[in-house]
Amino acid sequence: MTWNLDTIFISIALGALMVVVGGRVARNATDGVPGGFQNFVESILEFVQTQVKDSFPGHNPLIAPLALTIFVWVWLMNFMDLIPVDLLPLIGSWLGLPYLKVVPTTDLNTTLAMALVVFGLTLFYNIKVKGLGGYLKMFLFHPFGKFAMPANIVMTAIEEVAKPLSLGLRLFGNMFAGELVFLLIALLGGAAALGAGLLIWFPLQVVLDLAWLLFHILVITLQAFIFMVLTIVYLGMAHTTDH
Amino acid sequence: MSESKKPGLLLIGAGQILTSMIVSGFLLGYLLDLYFETQPIFILILGGLGFIGGFLKVYRLLTDPELQ
Repeated sequence: MTWNLDTIFISIALGALMVVVGGRVARNATDGVPGGFQNFVESILEFVQTQVKDSFPGHNPLIAPLALTIFVWVWLMNFMDLIPVDLLPLIGSWLGLPYLKVVPTTDLNTTLAMALVVFGLTLFYNIKVKGLGGYLKMFLFHPFGKFAMPANIVMTAIEEVAKPLSLGLRLFGNMFAGELVFLLIALLGGAAALGAGLLIWFPLQVVLDLAWLLFHILVITLQAFIFMVLTIVYLGMAHTTDH
Repeated sequence: MSESKKPGLLLIGAGQILTSMIVSGFLLGYLLDLYFETQPIFILILGGLGFIGGFLKVYRLLTDPELQ
């Protein structure tokens, strides 16, 4: 078994950063006029709260903190993509690390693990809210009615497996592709290692890198948002009895 | 809960629903085949079902979101 220590370390470090900064903001929060950073954190909180209110039926005190954690954590992990691609691996190589994967979400293990946690929670609440019988009934009668039970079981099983799979693969795919584009753009200037004449491509690298960087800010935010929203929606589906 | 917003948000993933249903069909079929040692029966059947199911689900999602 292989352990992706770089992924584990960086994701835990970012999680710790989130907890420490969040804790500090909470400790220093004032009722009066909030400072700039408190304002920023409150706007994120409000944004997530609105999403949960809009797309989650009923009441569950776990959902909003979970959604907030997912949104901020995934965003932070995605944000590592915006640090120059070879900067941290270079520093790592000075410290004796031969290989360093900087963006945890470009590792399928991270995204699938998070998707599996969401899947586990969905299963738990499905069984808790609908009861084991109610959940199994969904497997038996769901897409085609009671006359096609074997097909229903298979179809619903496929559908349930598809949820975490799409959740994990979407985030991984988007982030991996984004990272790859950064690497390819970096190769434009990197080609100068073959000969100084190839430095002619350097201005192109600067322009493309800047453009992709600006666009990627949107991508990382959108992917974090989608992961959060789909988590809320899937858990919301688990909480409705008329599925 | 505003019912109108939930399907709208689900549509974000409509593209991936089709592909992930096919993939999960093949995956479940592969696992069943491993268990029963019946290669390649289940992988074909479940892959096909995943394909049909994916199309059905996306079709329903796009035409009548309230159904989902």
